[in-house]
Amino acid sequence: MGAPTADVLALLEATFDAVVIMDDRGRISAFNRAAEEMFGYRAADALGRNVSMLMTSSDRAEHDEHLRRYLTGGEARILGKGRDVRVRHRDGSEFSVFLSVGQIPDTQPPQFVGFLHDTSLRRKALATLEQERQLNRLYLDLAQVMLVATDRAGVVQLVNQRAIRVLRMNSPQIVNISWIDNCVAPEDRAIARNAFRALLMSGGDEPQSCEYHVRSSEGEDRFITWRGVALRDTNNVATGVMLSGEDITDQRRAESEAHRALERMNNVSRLATMGEMAAGISHELNQPLAAIANYAQACSRFLRRPEPDMPEISGALEQISGQALRAGEIIRRIRSLVRNEDVRRESQNINDLIREVHALLASDARVHDGRLELDLAESLPKVTVDGVQIQQVLMNLVHNAFEAQGSDSARTQLNGTPFEVRIATRTTDGGDVEVSVSDFGPGLIGEVEQKIFEPFFTTKPTGTGLGLAISRSIIKAHDARLGYRANQPRGACFYFVLPAQLEASR
Amino acid sequence: MKDLPQSVFVVDDDDAVRDSLRLLLKSAGMACEVFASAQEFLTSYEPAHPGCLVLDVRMPGMSGLEMQQELNLRGAMIPVIFITGHGDIPMAVEAMQHGAFDFLQKPFRDQELLDRVQRALARDTENRTRLRHTDKIRERLATLSPREREVLDLVTQGKANKMVAGDLGVSQRTVEIHRAHVMQKMEAGSLAELVRMMMAVAPPR
Repeated sequence: MGAPTADVLALLEATFDAVVIMDDRGRISAFNRAAEEMFGYRAADALGRNVSMLMTSSDRAEHDEHLRRYLTGGEARILGKGRDVRVRHRDGSEFSVFLSVGQIPDTQPPQFVGFLHDTSLRRKALATLEQERQLNRLYLDLAQVMLVATDRAGVVQLVNQRAIRVLRMNSPQIVNISWIDNCVAPEDRAIARNAFRALLMSGGDEPQSCEYHVRSSEGEDRFITWRGVALRDTNNVATGVMLSGEDITDQRRAESEAHRALERMNNVSRLATMGEMAAGISHELNQPLAAIANYAQACSRFLRRPEPDMPEISGALEQISGQALRAGEIIRRIRSLVRNEDVRRESQNINDLIREVHALLASDARVHDGRLELDLAESLPKVTVDGVQIQQVLMNLVHNAFEAQGSDSARTQLNGTPFEVRIATRTTDGGDVEVSVSDFGPGLIGEVEQKIFEPFFTTKPTGTGLGLAISRSIIKAHDARLGYRANQPRGACFYFVLPAQLEASR
Repeated sequence: MKDLPQSVFVVDDDDAVRDSLRLLLKSAGMACEVFASAQEFLTSYEPAHPGCLVLDVRMPGMSGLEMQQELNLRGAMIPVIFITGHGDIPMAVEAMQHGAFDFLQKPFRDQELLDRVQRALARDTENRTRLRHTDKIRERLATLSPREREVLDLVTQGKANKMVAGDLGVSQRTVEIHRAHVMQKMEAGSLAELVRMMMAVAPPR
């Protein structure tokens, strides 16, 4: 048996893998440094011993048999292939290595060289990777949003549980099909396609938003608000997109219901007020007017007689003036009706009243594409008010504010400034409670400011001119005043100050 | 029983409207009686009293429409002029469907009211004359014997005495005697007049 040459020995010492050479009877003839570290034997202890000492007991029994069979012209079990095997450390512990074995050429009797690569590290790395993958999957599936990844052709690569539930499909049904052609509602595909294209072409990592309907396998449409980012390779080339979608169908439905309720309330209160008032006014006034007309016409007839019936005439004239006064009294009564003097007053926290109508008002804001901000001071004194009436005033003021900003000219002027309405409460220096509704619209200009509270004065094409007038009389009935001041830096601010309730009666 | 003088009955819950209507009718020389409610009117109403009714549609208690229906049930044929306010047109339409004579929206010109009242009074006179006439005819019919009534029915159907005699199985002479009695009792001068009388009392088809 020839000993390895010097250059071969140098090579053996330099390699990271353990190298073991054995002869045709399995006796170790070379054992490099890496092998020493791997197995805990010194080369001097290993040389000349049978290689089976490095094997587990199950392999050990078969090894000599394998070797003998190979040498007698049989099959090669391992030669030139390599495989994972379990091996045995000097201390008795077992571990996995990747073993490849080769026959050293031109050796007689043949010698074999084995390269052993410690795979437990690689295994550990693989296990960690698998764990991370599972964790990621878990993250995806735990997410309350729909997650969808596609390649740059829009073919689905990955979906999470949430998306599967919304679409009522299973993962294999969705993966590898076109997202837009199969999952997006047909009416919204153009929107989805444009958004997808824009996303692929977008430069930055900033997520982009869009909204469209998806259609489930059962034909149900769900309205989804999406945020998407482009996925990029190391050369910064977009390879696909990742979409995260929130199902806002129910939210939208609730909002539009709230909005419809608001519309109804507005319409009902306006129609009821106007309609009832008009019918009431016309009927009430008609009676004295009819009487006046009858009396006056009777007087004319009496006067045309050769001998006028003077007592009847003078009685009729008295009746005429009496009926005219009656008509005046009816008008006064209608005005006090609007003031609603015998309303139900209760001790209230004004902030609670505002929060109660917030949902309705926010829906109004959404209709006008704006925002409603609340800026409510805490620990305000309580006020004694008719809550519903105060809420009506607030709704009227907020509605006006959004309309003031909503006109085309106002939008042009706004250009960048927030399109928002702010309801604020605060304690005044005098200890009373001020409620204000501010906007950033054009504000009141010139004579509008003088006339804004006059009944039937309106700047809106379809306005009745009664909203502010009624609001003002409601506030007046609460011993307060509805006032106007310019908002800073721009816009209008309507405010009223309610007297704080006395401490003792709180 | 010659006619009582005609009156205009005014029913309106509004004191001023009621009183002013009274004065207006008085200034035009019309007799007028006023009532503050439907109940008040119905209690004192005497169907034999000729005239017309000026009635407010909208009244507390029994409304003008309900009162009209009550009068219809009682078979009263007094013409009714409804007075309505604004927006009571549907009520006015309903009133007309139930046989109201006319309606007026208040406030109104005096002449509009007076013209309608005049026409309503004229209608009432007409109705009453017709009614008296038919009453008389019915009284006369009641005096006929059964055989005379049979002869009258056949004669007014245009049958000659000979045919009537055949139908009844009596001699032509007997028919002639019955027929003479009929003409006498009905105070009819001719067959044509007898036919007109029978048409006046015939139930409407």
